[in-house]
Amino acid sequence: MARVFSLVQAEPSQISDNDLLHAVAGGDEAALAACYDRYRLILFGLIIRILHDREEAEDVLQEVFLQVWRRAGDFDEARGRAFTWLVTIARSRALDRLRSAGSRARLGEEAAQMPREEVGDAELDAVKSEARTIVRSALAELPEEQRRTLFLAYFEGLTQTEIAARLGDPLGTVKTRMRSGMMKLRELLGQSRDSV
Amino acid sequence: MEHQEYKELLEFHALDALEASEARGLEEHLKTCAECRAELARLRDAAALLAHAAPPAEPRPEMRNQLLASVRAERTQARPAAVTSPQVVPLKPRAARNIWTIGLRLAAGVAVVALLVSLIVFWRRDVKMRQEIAQLSRQVNTQQHELVRDRDVLGRQREALALLNMPSAKKMELAGTQTAQSAHGTFVYDQKTGRALLMADGLPATPADKAYELWFIPKGHSPMAGRIFTVDASGHAMLPEQMPSEAMANSVIAITLEPKKGSAVPTGAIYLSSPSS
Repeated sequence: MARVFSLVQAEPSQISDNDLLHAVAGGDEAALAACYDRYRLILFGLIIRILHDREEAEDVLQEVFLQVWRRAGDFDEARGRAFTWLVTIARSRALDRLRSAGSRARLGEEAAQMPREEVGDAELDAVKSEARTIVRSALAELPEEQRRTLFLAYFEGLTQTEIAARLGDPLGTVKTRMRSGMMKLRELLGQSRDSV
Repeated sequence: MEHQEYKELLEFHALDALEASEARGLEEHLKTCAECRAELARLRDAAALLAHAAPPAEPRPEMRNQLLASVRAERTQARPAAVTSPQVVPLKPRAARNIWTIGLRLAAGVAVVALLVSLIVFWRRDVKMRQEIAQLSRQVNTQQHELVRDRDVLGRQREALALLNMPSAKKMELAGTQTAQSAHGTFVYDQKTGRALLMADGLPATPADKAYELWFIPKGHSPMAGRIFTVDASGHAMLPEQMPSEAMANSVIAITLEPKKGSAVPTGAIYLSSPSS
């Protein structure tokens, strides 16, 4: 249904994430398309990283954007960033799929490695590419065990106890690593909020 | 747990890495702690940066159009007048659809049960209310009867008062005879109009087949029949009467016990009588 006026058709790249989601909440299809264009690479990458299955990941990506379409009105910029809101939906959907029957079989792949690149930086939105570089270099500075702990929680949805069991480490050690890793991410967010 | 202890769980919760029971406890705390909520929001922003650690990946180009087609289809479904185009097939929100369907069925089930329960409740309430209404209506009837009776009594008393206040009113005292020694009465009448009222007390209750009859006995004439009446156990009577003009001048007022339908001439014993002058 063509709207007479779409905020987004004018200059998509100029619009903030927040305004984009507000436009989606208002039923602006062009805003959803712009949101897709802006986030498909990051979200699809995240979903593949969790599911290790391209076909299922496409399914989930579709679900994610349908949820964005239906629930954009729930987004409240006072309670967090738009990036967080989108990424959280994608991660939850993918983890739900992972936990549902049939997906467990694919588990067990190494979670701590930085997987190899599929999309070159040139294809990414310039701003997102910068954010990605900053975050990846910061994570690369973390000790291997800290990074591994964060990844097991984030990409595999494991609890502290499960991580301790998986790695054969004491629970207290897992907690300390997790805390240190989160501290690093938080510093990063504090230092370069506008870039990440 | 204390606020500080909860606060130390926030970093783990931002990664959803707490055990379910811990997470539940923390969620309870978050409901009432704005400080922890704000802190968790910051930590979730930080945790979300981990998404950048996943290598970006390009979905098949046709997915964009499929998404937009699904959105359009959803929008069309939401519009009552629009025609659904057959080629627009929503990609595959099957899991989602199942959840919706189950949710809808559950909601429908709950609604039906709620409806049945309320029907039963209302039906029972209805029966009870009908019973209450019937009882109230009986009470009202009784009270109305009493009210009518009271109003009659009141009317007669008012009439008696009016009669007594008239300058042309004449009052005669009636005394019980040998037959009814405890009986006494008053007879008042308006000498101009003949409107009269008999008030009697202490009369024996009227037997079922009998009635009291009022007599006017003008001096030197035979008794003239007045009204007949009955008295219950209270022994009280208050009876409006119209005095015959022939009886106005100088009459004796007497009350006898007669057969139920009354008599043309007195046949029974005299119960009450005004003094013969």
